[in-house]
Amino acid sequence: MHRQSTTRSNGIDRRSVLAAGVAGLATATSGCIDRVESAVGQETDRLSLSITTVPADGDREAVRIARHLEEHLEAVGIDASLDMRSRSNFLEAVLIDHEFDLYVGRHPADYDPDFLYETLHSAYANESGWQNPLGFSSMPVDGHLEAQRRVDGERRRERIATLLEGLAEEKPFDPICFPEEHRVVRTDRVDGWNADHPESRHGYLGLEPSEDVDRLRVLVTDARISRNLNPLSATLREQGSTINLLYDSLATEHDGELVPWLAEDWETTTIEETEDDDAITRATVTLREDCEFHDDEPVTADDVAFTYRFLEDTALGRAEFTSPAPRYRSHVSTLEDVTVESDRELRLEFSAGFEAAERALTVPVLPEHRWREQVDARAETTETFTAMQGQWGLVTMDNVPAVGSGPFRFESRSEREHLTLERYDDHFTRREDVDLPSVEIEQLQFGIDPGSASSIERVANDGADLTASMLEAHALDTIPDEPEIDHLESPSQTFYHVGFNARIEPFSNPHARRLVAGLLDKAWLVEEVFDGHATPTATPLPEEWVPERLTWDGDDPITPFFGSDGDLDVEAARDAFEDTGYRYDDHGRLRL
Amino acid sequence: MYAEVLTRVLTQVAVVVGILLLTSIALFVGRGRLVETAREWRSRLRATAPAVAVLAAVLGLNRVVRWRGDEIEGAIGFHMTETFYDLEGEFVLLFQSIATEELTAYFSFIYVYGYAFLLIFPGIAYFALSDTRTFRRLLTAYSLNYVLGLAFYLLVIAYGPRNVMPEELTVTMLYDNSPEYQHLTREVNRNTNVFPSLHTSLAATVGVFAYITRSSYPYWFPVAAVLAASVAISTMYLGIHWAIDVVAGLVLAGVCVRLSGVLVGRQPVARFRRYLDRRPTPRDDRE
Repeated sequence: MHRQSTTRSNGIDRRSVLAAGVAGLATATSGCIDRVESAVGQETDRLSLSITTVPADGDREAVRIARHLEEHLEAVGIDASLDMRSRSNFLEAVLIDHEFDLYVGRHPADYDPDFLYETLHSAYANESGWQNPLGFSSMPVDGHLEAQRRVDGERRRERIATLLEGLAEEKPFDPICFPEEHRVVRTDRVDGWNADHPESRHGYLGLEPSEDVDRLRVLVTDARISRNLNPLSATLREQGSTINLLYDSLATEHDGELVPWLAEDWETTTIEETEDDDAITRATVTLREDCEFHDDEPVTADDVAFTYRFLEDTALGRAEFTSPAPRYRSHVSTLEDVTVESDRELRLEFSAGFEAAERALTVPVLPEHRWREQVDARAETTETFTAMQGQWGLVTMDNVPAVGSGPFRFESRSEREHLTLERYDDHFTRREDVDLPSVEIEQLQFGIDPGSASSIERVANDGADLTASMLEAHALDTIPDEPEIDHLESPSQTFYHVGFNARIEPFSNPHARRLVAGLLDKAWLVEEVFDGHATPTATPLPEEWVPERLTWDGDDPITPFFGSDGDLDVEAARDAFEDTGYRYDDHGRLRL
Repeated sequence: MYAEVLTRVLTQVAVVVGILLLTSIALFVGRGRLVETAREWRSRLRATAPAVAVLAAVLGLNRVVRWRGDEIEGAIGFHMTETFYDLEGEFVLLFQSIATEELTAYFSFIYVYGYAFLLIFPGIAYFALSDTRTFRRLLTAYSLNYVLGLAFYLLVIAYGPRNVMPEELTVTMLYDNSPEYQHLTREVNRNTNVFPSLHTSLAATVGVFAYITRSSYPYWFPVAAVLAASVAISTMYLGIHWAIDVVAGLVLAGVCVRLSGVLVGRQPVARFRRYLDRRPTPRDDRE
């Protein structure tokens, strides 16, 4: 089914499509095997759980959390095992195939709490992608998720507090901590490093290269960057850092608020929710003049309108069912109406307050002429065009070379070695009359270096200028103390968490999720696994959103750890399982 | 910039292994055999060309499949990390209890330099023997190791101990202590190719051959034995392989040495062909 729509691809993407298909197939079958085993194995009625995570090469901290959890699950009589997948196979299992019992991972989150709508709303429980991978559905939580969208300011903060309380009780996933983001940078070749997050759109603006320096040598630990540049791919990146450089969005987040980017300006009027009416936000957006994509085609209001339509249905109405993108799902879900007024002007109408609505301005603007052509080509070659949601060729293709309108354009890549971008000289940030620092560096080369320790060593030996990926906590004490090396540190919006598959037993039951949450000693994990370079948390949002009742007080206020200092009080934990209705057999094994 | 680091590490390895090889040739091979080899190298090369060609082809295939293997592996492979971990648990951590800085340095050196030397030197030493059979057998055994090993790599998807128990292995983990080697090993392998340990199987293959040829090279045998054992232990000490991978490597080595004896005849293929050519056409009633 899925194949049919992708057999005639244009050569650029066939291999990756095939690879993704094959990988999907494999994870699907191996999942089946696991299930059969647990159903007919010799311990038929023992509860067995598999913790999906990435190997230490992918995320050393995640493995350690997973093993901590595995040990404690075993201690309470559950047959626990680790299921290790490469980074892309991990996301494939969790986001696309939903073949997992529980997993340990890091959520990319977003600048606005509305990302929780995407992650948890029951309307998305049957879709593939970043939208509700947990299969979670709860009427009260749906209500809170919707309510926070209709209001702004202080009223929204209150509703988000209610939402967080609901989540802390129901535990669709258990947030563990916000890691600190550490990076190292050389200042002798390129200077002007400011407070901007190096992974943001502003990160590479205003850098001052020395006279003979035209290339910034950036190291990333993740090789996926050299394999895929599809802005819609769910499994080949967590965040959109390179996508942010290749593509523009209307607005971009800077220091916690949205600032104009491709849009010169926008005006919003919001009618907040009244007694029985939904909130309505109307926005008039004006694009900057004379912007062009990297293939010299103009960027128009039609491209923006197309992008919104396309994200809602990547098959553009040509398939039997709509096929929403596996990314940016909730960004565009408040958008009710788009009217193109002129080449540079469009009006948008949202059924939300402006805070939630404005997230729609942060999606990458895609060139209509290229993506429509792709949809047409794929639709015409098959008789039954299905465009399987989240998995079909268009959302999994590698999209190399990527054509956007961003400050950098694709130059070259070599799989597993590097991705090289060059400055796009016609970008608006280079204009005199635009009040943004311009890009001075001519080339960005993202070299792949899988280890944090070896990345630091290369920056120290002048083999690279910046480590763009977050450095792992265990390698931080190898950062040399030298004048030309700066250590950048910033808080992270991303958070480590344990996700539960609410589609199947035992985690369809919120009590089971709460019990397992009580097996995690978050404070201990932060000290031991992260060497203190993280902040333990009971909520997926940073402090400014957290209500009094949920603030961290040395332990999780709702599901405190059964024990202390990382040592599980097995008796207490087992009692809690029994109190909840679970039964143990004569050998102390937890029965299904 | 990626290539720079790799080139630096490769140069370093080439220099060190080169020095080891020159020393060993002087010590073990000796002047007499070298003079003879200088005289006969053409005919020996002709006699051994098929075995060399097969090994070259296998190495080429190996390279392609190991990199492109993820697609095949995804289709036919089984996830086995947990199985191995369940079977042997934290056995490899045994080596952590004896870890010292000196041992870590020793095993890191063995894993990278010692291994390369151990594989190359027998090639030279056996080429210097007037009977080419041992040389042909050795290359055939190498080829078999790679072909069979590769088949297992495609079938078994498993991560090594360092990927499962990073915290317990931080003291000795190769890439934490010597990050530069990661570029080298990444060039030749993927982190899901652990079963069986080819380091172990190839080193053990060399060890068995050293035993077989101990009358020609009496002093090489003890050296090879110590090196081969060290290589096998180093893979576990450094957290790269499970004990199961090492055992499987030993079994694989046994199979390959045995098979090489069956496959490689006393007469080189070229001479056999010449012999056939010269023979009168066999009569119909023969056999």
